[in-house]
Amino acid sequence: MRKIHVRVAMVYIVIAIIFLIVRSFIVPPSFGEYGWYRGDSVSEIMNLSVKHAGSYSCSNCHQTEYKAWTTGKHSTVNCESCHGPLKYHVDDPGGSKVEVNATREFCGLCHNENPSRPEGFPQINLESHGNGFTCVTCHNPHYPWFD
Amino acid sequence: MSELLWQALQQVQGYVYPNEIEVNWSILIVFYPYITGLVAGAFIVASLERVFKVEAVKPTYRLALLTALAFLLAAPLPLVAHLGHPERALEIMFTPHLSSAMAGFGFVYAWYLLIVLLLEIGYDYRKDVVKWARTKRGLKGFLYRLLTMGDYDISKEALKKDEKLVGIITVIGLPSAAFLHGYVGFIFGSVKANPWWSSPLMPIIFLFSAMVSGIALVLLIYMASTKLRGKKLDMKCTDTLAGYLLYTYVLDLSLEFMEIAHLVYVQEEGIDAILTLINDRLFLSFIVIQIFLGTIVPIFLLVMAKTGLFRATIRKIFYIFAALLAMIGVLAMRWNVVIGGQMLSKSFRGFSTYILPIFGIEGLLTAVAIFILPFVLLFIFVKVLPPWEEPPIWESTEHQAVEGNGEG
Repeated sequence: MRKIHVRVAMVYIVIAIIFLIVRSFIVPPSFGEYGWYRGDSVSEIMNLSVKHAGSYSCSNCHQTEYKAWTTGKHSTVNCESCHGPLKYHVDDPGGSKVEVNATREFCGLCHNENPSRPEGFPQINLESHGNGFTCVTCHNPHYPWFD
Repeated sequence: MSELLWQALQQVQGYVYPNEIEVNWSILIVFYPYITGLVAGAFIVASLERVFKVEAVKPTYRLALLTALAFLLAAPLPLVAHLGHPERALEIMFTPHLSSAMAGFGFVYAWYLLIVLLLEIGYDYRKDVVKWARTKRGLKGFLYRLLTMGDYDISKEALKKDEKLVGIITVIGLPSAAFLHGYVGFIFGSVKANPWWSSPLMPIIFLFSAMVSGIALVLLIYMASTKLRGKKLDMKCTDTLAGYLLYTYVLDLSLEFMEIAHLVYVQEEGIDAILTLINDRLFLSFIVIQIFLGTIVPIFLLVMAKTGLFRATIRKIFYIFAALLAMIGVLAMRWNVVIGGQMLSKSFRGFSTYILPIFGIEGLLTAVAIFILPFVLLFIFVKVLPPWEEPPIWESTEHQAVEGNGEG
């Protein structure tokens, strides 16, 4: 075999070896254990702490708000959508405080005017609506009313 | 909400799904098939001389190979620039999956670069590289000595074997080039949910338009480089290349026509939206630029040049305009496929609008910079590995020596 062929073949073999070495460093050892992903991610995700408690757990203590919420227009919006993850509060109701974002911008995430929203969906212009007062001044978020 | 999304939202027409408002495959993804197509087209020009023995285009053989290499090196850049995490780009090749069309492209690309193009250029230039390694000094000399890989055998038998090997590589390279670019069409053609893309004809159309743009590019580079070097243009070569450009163009046009005719004839769901897309949203880029300016006008110019009524100077002007328009037309075709396909909502009842930013990673300037890069690479390659037909200095010296001996 000619010298040039041997040398070219050697260059390609070296490239292939470098590729395999880099691959061995980059691909995690547990890759492919269960499927086309890092197997260790399953146990890592399973060990993450639970943060959400679900709306039903609120009914144990906050019956008034819960009853209003289940019959109101916001019944499809989970409690934790506005109040945030609440597992810590359910675990220790007395020792923890629930924060809620009551700013106009927060309500605007769903109710600010947006041409891609369905026409019947309540939408307002945040700039002009409500004279700058917070929305909860007039609207009860657990049982909202609107025109 | 990003400024771009807000602007796009104001221009939504009809009903679109929320994730369709912003066109995510930007101008960079338009340039990805465009640059890849230029590679395939340039290689096919090179194979005309090697495989199909079209001797007239010999002056462009090496130039076409270097053009293909320069554009191939730049081809993945739009994709990498488009990624949110470009450092993860190689992971599709480290853990490839059969369901990933892009991973497949990675391997086709690697095959084409390493096995086809580099080997063909390496073996074709071997004789010259050995001679340059012996005569040049300094950094250039070192580079040539490195490229010889320590084998200085340029005996007649060795060169004959090299020639045979290059022939074999070109024969393998031709389907590889077709596969490389057909594959890009395959990626779009496989998106079943989008009637503007989903078509088994897509890889073939991409391939033929790639040949059009590649031949046009090589023709332009050949004409420009001849002018810059102050040499006389080989009109036989130019006419032959222009002839191939015309034939490929006619085939490309008929394939495009077949695709549209098929869409209109079968009247599948979404045809009304497609017709609105063509006649309204893409009127300028499809009807005016791609079909009229980018296809009909260049075909007309090439047919005019072929009639034999015009002298070389006029034909040259026809070729320059036809090649430029062909390149613009094929770019418009990529734009219409990539951007047009995303403007069409899956609801078939609405359209979104693509807003092209000037700055930023997904902007026009990035795309232009990526497109300029292969020309810079080509300039460097041409400096290192001159592809010109005229005999290198040592050959002319040998020639003079032989003549001198004869006289003595």
